[in-house]
Amino acid sequence: MTWLVWRQYRAQGAIAVALLAAAAAVILADGLQIASHWHTILVTCAGNSTCLQQQGPLVNGVVSDLPYISLIVPVVLGMLWGAPLVGHELETRTSEFAWTQSVTRTRWLTVKVGWLLLAAAVCLGVITTLITWWAGPGNARFASAFEPGHFDTQGIVPIGYAVFAMALGIAAGTVARRTLPAIAVVLGGFIGLRLVISDFLRQHYMAAVTKYYSVTGSFTPRGQAWVLAQGAVSRTGRVVATGWGDLYPALPASCQKLLPGTPGAKSGASLDAVFSCMRAHGWRGFVTYQPASRYWPFQGIETGIYVLLAAALVAVTFVIIRTRDA
Amino acid sequence: MSTAVETHELSKRYRRVSALTECTVTVPEGRVSALVGPNGAGKTTLLRILAGLASPTGGTACVLGGAPRQDPAFLAEIGFLAQEIPLYGRFTAEDHIRIGAHMNPRWDSALARTRLAELRIPLDQRVGTLSGGQRAQVALALTLAKRPRLLLLDEPVAALDPLARRNFLATLASGMADAEGGLTVVLSSHLITDLERVCDHIVLLTGSRVQLCGDIEALLAEHKILVGPRKDTAPIERTHRVVQTAATPRQSTLLVRLSGPVVDPAYQAEDVTLEELVLAYMGAGEASAGRHLTTVGEGS
Repeated sequence: MTWLVWRQYRAQGAIAVALLAAAAAVILADGLQIASHWHTILVTCAGNSTCLQQQGPLVNGVVSDLPYISLIVPVVLGMLWGAPLVGHELETRTSEFAWTQSVTRTRWLTVKVGWLLLAAAVCLGVITTLITWWAGPGNARFASAFEPGHFDTQGIVPIGYAVFAMALGIAAGTVARRTLPAIAVVLGGFIGLRLVISDFLRQHYMAAVTKYYSVTGSFTPRGQAWVLAQGAVSRTGRVVATGWGDLYPALPASCQKLLPGTPGAKSGASLDAVFSCMRAHGWRGFVTYQPASRYWPFQGIETGIYVLLAAALVAVTFVIIRTRDA
Repeated sequence: MSTAVETHELSKRYRRVSALTECTVTVPEGRVSALVGPNGAGKTTLLRILAGLASPTGGTACVLGGAPRQDPAFLAEIGFLAQEIPLYGRFTAEDHIRIGAHMNPRWDSALARTRLAELRIPLDQRVGTLSGGQRAQVALALTLAKRPRLLLLDEPVAALDPLARRNFLATLASGMADAEGGLTVVLSSHLITDLERVCDHIVLLTGSRVQLCGDIEALLAEHKILVGPRKDTAPIERTHRVVQTAATPRQSTLLVRLSGPVVDPAYQAEDVTLEELVLAYMGAGEASAGRHLTTVGEGS
């Protein structure tokens, strides 16, 4: 059975290895250049993050889009390997050839799905390792380690994406019995789910931390934390976002008069006076955030979600292949 | 003699359409059975159920001593060739032979290679680029190389030209000879003339029901064409089953399944050919489509 898989995919496998080698060469060449540039900057900035942020792009312009490799490859694999895996065989009815050899459908599917999922995971494992290394110096520029285009191109999540995209293609091809609709499902389903998870779900993986502080002081979460909300909260619990446009109307009248440049501002008005007034009225500042230390737990949770979804899709595929008439 | 295929009131419904209705069929071991019937009669459905590719919605099927199932031991006994001749178009015949060797316990690569060499079919050419007849030959050679005990062929010659058809049937016949009685074949066609030379058993389906099942020689002996004056056929029908009636103003021709001698001297009995027999039953089946028809009994 493994020989059949090898025969079916050896050409595609060779192309994949060649493309992977080419991508690795580009990433390595560019990454080494960045690394030397990085060491030069370190000498002058000595770990001062403000200085680092002023150093401009650490990445040279031509290949700054390299992380998109880990964004795009999973969905491409889902469309080119996942969707036809069962769909094309049903479409051309070669499944009937395979299923009337002395091999059960379950074994046929296990071997095919097993090897192809492994291949996809290895592909993305290589890519994400290279990209994570390549992006190391540049990551220092980001305020948050959880930003889309950053969090989801490095670490282990790209492997989860690839496994999920493959499983989605396999299941869709099995249900539709054709390749083309399955490709459409992978494209739409994968992008849709990625957006929903990164925009709405990711921030809730773990309960966010909210830190209250005196409005006359300040607080910045340590490291590249993910700030979800910040602003001021009144004694009665009224929450107002940062920015004077929102804050001003919510302030007590006595504090409003201390804000410079507003109609009826008192003499001696200053921002410090406003903050002192706010504190006197029981206002506090707050920051709601995911601490930087949660980067790897979040990577693990997100990978887990995609792998579990993939497992469910594969299970559905097995049930259909076993029970549905060929 | 043991039976290779035995079904009992086998039925298959697809939503509201009945593809097979209470089909009871027996094929003894070592026979070549023609599964005949018009398009849409249920031939493909029956073969697919026997091969374990589809499951029945009613009744039972027993193939080589057990129900068709997804099990390596069962699958090793069955050779199935679908009407579309599904092969991997981008693979060569040699690739297919090697796939077969990896996926079957009793595989005979040499047999397949020899057969294709005899037919001058290139082993190293993508099968997608071969002619329809050559593809069918490759598929048959592969199916025979599996050394099955039951070969199920769905309309294998329908798409072939007469020469390719003859070559195909010759390959099948030599496969039968090689197997020395250990191989049973069921092959479907909508035309009996395609198969008459190789078959000794027949299953006739029309409108999802079995009309006729049995040994061809025995069936031919049981049926006669009665030619006589045009008169009431009721006395004949009391003892025999009249399958088909054709009448001119002066004479009537009856195709009859006899159960005993014909006593009326007004009728002259003539032998029936297989084609006449099949067409008569097909006509009878068609005419009764819609009405409920009791299944005609078993032959042999």
